[in-house]
Amino acid sequence: MKDNELCNFDLVGGRLVDPNSGINQVKDLFIRDGIIYYSAPEGKPAEQKFSIKNHVILPGLLDFRVHNRIPGDAQSETVESLTRAAAKGGFSSILAMPNTIPHSDNPGTILYIQDRIKQTSKIKVHLTGCLTIGSKGKRLAPLGSLKEAGVIAVTDCPQSVGDNQIFANALKYAKMFGLKIIEYPQDAYLSNDGEAHESPLSLKMGLPGNPRMAEELVVQRAITLSRHLEVPIHISSISSLGSVNLIKEAKESGTEITTDVSAHHLLLTEQAISQYETQAKTTPPLREEADRQALINGLKDGTIDACNSSHEPFADHLKQVEFDLAPPGVIGLETALMVVLEAMSEKDPFLLIAEKMSTNPHQILGLESPSLKEGKLADLVVINPKLNWTYEPSLGMSLSQNSPFSGYKFTGQPILTASCGKIAWSEFVA
Amino acid sequence: MAMKQWTQNSLLGIEYLSKEEILFLLDQADAIKEQRVKHNSETESLRGKRIINLFMEPSTRTRVAFEIAAKSLGADVISIAGDASSLTKGETLKDTAMNVQALGADAIVLRHSSPGSPLFLSQIVNVPIINAGDGAHEHPSQALLDIFTMREKLGNLKDKKITILGDILFSRVARSNLWGLLKLGAKVTLAGPSTLVPKEFEQLGARVTHDPNDALCGADAVMLLRIQHERQQASHFPSLTEYANVFGLGRNIFNRMKKDAIILHPGPLNRGVEIESELADSDRAVILEQVSNGIAVRMAILHLCINYGEIRK
Repeated sequence: MKDNELCNFDLVGGRLVDPNSGINQVKDLFIRDGIIYYSAPEGKPAEQKFSIKNHVILPGLLDFRVHNRIPGDAQSETVESLTRAAAKGGFSSILAMPNTIPHSDNPGTILYIQDRIKQTSKIKVHLTGCLTIGSKGKRLAPLGSLKEAGVIAVTDCPQSVGDNQIFANALKYAKMFGLKIIEYPQDAYLSNDGEAHESPLSLKMGLPGNPRMAEELVVQRAITLSRHLEVPIHISSISSLGSVNLIKEAKESGTEITTDVSAHHLLLTEQAISQYETQAKTTPPLREEADRQALINGLKDGTIDACNSSHEPFADHLKQVEFDLAPPGVIGLETALMVVLEAMSEKDPFLLIAEKMSTNPHQILGLESPSLKEGKLADLVVINPKLNWTYEPSLGMSLSQNSPFSGYKFTGQPILTASCGKIAWSEFVA
Repeated sequence: MAMKQWTQNSLLGIEYLSKEEILFLLDQADAIKEQRVKHNSETESLRGKRIINLFMEPSTRTRVAFEIAAKSLGADVISIAGDASSLTKGETLKDTAMNVQALGADAIVLRHSSPGSPLFLSQIVNVPIINAGDGAHEHPSQALLDIFTMREKLGNLKDKKITILGDILFSRVARSNLWGLLKLGAKVTLAGPSTLVPKEFEQLGARVTHDPNDALCGADAVMLLRIQHERQQASHFPSLTEYANVFGLGRNIFNRMKKDAIILHPGPLNRGVEIESELADSDRAVILEQVSNGIAVRMAILHLCINYGEIRK
């Protein structure tokens, strides 16, 4: 974390929404040395006072699935640009996936990334390590050493271990270290390289179809193994109606399964690629309206615990190619919050947002959830819920522009993000 | 000529054409064929134009037919094959196409393994793009020549029963024919092994069957597609022998077909697999007529698409 950031400021007139402490009311916050006070402490003047009437303050958001490109591809994203994009999007913490180049399957790579974080990030970056070497699904990664180096979870995202025996052993082994296991549900054989959701549309377009069953089989495997081995598993980025149903049943029977959904799956369907738009080619693929509705309902009824951005930056030249040659993945850090807000289409969605994007992700990862209680370190986001704006990726903080939401008109915008007691991003002119 | 019936300056796929445009193009091809056959003369409407054939996938029939079509219209043609281009040196299709445009191409005829690549090119360069086959998406010139041939033999295609048999899943020819035939009111049956003919095609307007008898008996025209065994080694069907036994057009089933039903094949033909060799040479097979018609149809395509820009002014 960078030092010398603003940590004495007042937030006046905003509404606090915090599921942790049960606060949902207008209250002024006075941040001094990064600590939240409900009344201005004597003798410590604020360096800045933000008047935020009609704004909402939530505990800091945690993005569950972010693809870091360092080391390996600084043209697409650096740790600095990644974390600035996150802060601008309202996230005070992110969980970085291990598909760096080389893969984050060894302590050396982890230590290197941590050094870049220390040098350039204003927010908290939690790291994952690979479950298997090179995420190839053949040999276990040194999970004990990775844990020692600081990873908090292990995953082969955006792939899944194909061999059931290896996956079962990986679960048992990771459990020994208390490492959270994140499964990205995609059967490599059935998913057909995952170009598009298998449907009449993909058939028409001549694209290999990635069927729902490629995801649901792996979801079912995770549920079964979690039951038998008594290992909690987090299933990341589900996209199909069937997955929602499987997880709902599993939860009802007491299986320790949690799950999340990528924000863009709540707002877009396969129609977004109907003209071979590489900017909407995602992992997993965008599916049909019935899936989208099931995901929204799953989020509301508690089946789905969290939302992620699945931010996967790719430099322009990597995406400006033929559709099947373009890598799947879209950026999302700077739009995820707005996309979820819009998809929820609720009059007051903020309690739900705080649960799905702050409290639950922290809890699932075994981290202390940020809170707006007095005495806590300021880790929060201020949202102007009425602001109308048009998203233009080239004006964003990410080095990449591969967003399906270019030109999209959003309502609501995070205007200040504080992480660990310091302002990490502010739209206010200082 | 009533050119305002033609509104496209690129031919990206049959899906994007109206019934009227298809018929207009076929009529143009008719006129061109008649002039070539009866009067042994060409229109030369593309004199001074430069057409680049950018063929990123192997092709004999389509590439040569496009070359002959362009030359017959008086155009200069340069053919670039994928393995001889800078794409093998890591250049992207986007850069290759921009270079081709900078070299003064008046049109690009593109054959590419990636579905949607002609649409992608049309968004980058501002010359007409003619799709000569893009992955499993579309092969519009092939479908137009198939439909042209069917129309010659069967007349108006409305309510005619057309069966396409073979590897439908990976076939751009099947898709382009499906769009064209449906637009002209034909009844289309797609047939073949269940692994290669997904039921979802029914949602796109076709009838799907896996029973060769059901598919072939009663059809007015049968189009056999090549089994692309280089693509289906994995698990789509056990062997070519098994395919020939179950789905090959043999004498028995041929005898149960309509007596005037025609047999089409876009080539290349696997004799003894899709069709018994002697049937491929019978007078009911119009396979070589398809190839010859391909020239007139492609002349019509090039003429309309390239001259369209001038007409629009």
